[in-house]
Amino acid sequence: MSSKNPLHGLTPVLTLFLAIAIVLDTLAQLLWKHAVAGLPDDASLSVTLLAVFSQPWFVVVIALFLIQLWNWLEVLKHADLSFAQPITSISYLTVSLASWWLFGEKLGPLKGAGILLILAGVWLSSGGARNTPAESERCP
Amino acid sequence: MSPVELGIGLVLVCSLVEGFAQVCLKKSSLQDSAKLTWVGVGIGFFCIEALLYSIALQWLDISVAYPLGALSFLAVGGFSRWLLKESLDARRIAGLGLIVIGCAMVASQG
Repeated sequence: MSSKNPLHGLTPVLTLFLAIAIVLDTLAQLLWKHAVAGLPDDASLSVTLLAVFSQPWFVVVIALFLIQLWNWLEVLKHADLSFAQPITSISYLTVSLASWWLFGEKLGPLKGAGILLILAGVWLSSGGARNTPAESERCP
Repeated sequence: MSPVELGIGLVLVCSLVEGFAQVCLKKSSLQDSAKLTWVGVGIGFFCIEALLYSIALQWLDISVAYPLGALSFLAVGGFSRWLLKESLDARRIAGLGLIVIGCAMVASQG
């Protein structure tokens, strides 16, 4: 697959699906933490398992992940897994900032720098080919 | 082992499970004949990961647990090279190195 676009073939459709993926990631993570925070401190595996199937917030999280799964399969139709997944890493920043803002979690300099380093690493590793031709043509 | 260390260990296991599940989903887009099977296996692994992550979240801040999940890129890189024969060049390997350093810094703040 040729790549005339300077953004390595980030087509409008692919960009839209990736943006949806980031928003869904952020919402799901915040609600997930919110749901778990409602459990007793020493919740056992069975309590956690039961809660996952009974508490309303967990149901919302599961629903978000089902939408995310559908959205992600659309992304994978258009791009290599190792190209598409790094772009959704923007959610590391959005989740951490939102947790600081909404939950009052600490964001010290070392944690902040670590998150930025993770982002840098993810972006560095996302510069490769968008779609490996040999692999795409290997469908049985 | 303190709860935080246990939580960090659980997130590491989650990253491995995530890497394998992602490869299963990509397999589903490559093999029309076994599409649903691969999606099913992928979802199964995601469910296991979700349960482990829920336990980890009881002990960890989301601003620690979620960035640590970036270690799944290491798993995705390794598994997609090994099982999907996708390419993994020097630049990508350097990026994965930065992710590991960044995760170590975040984990130290748990």
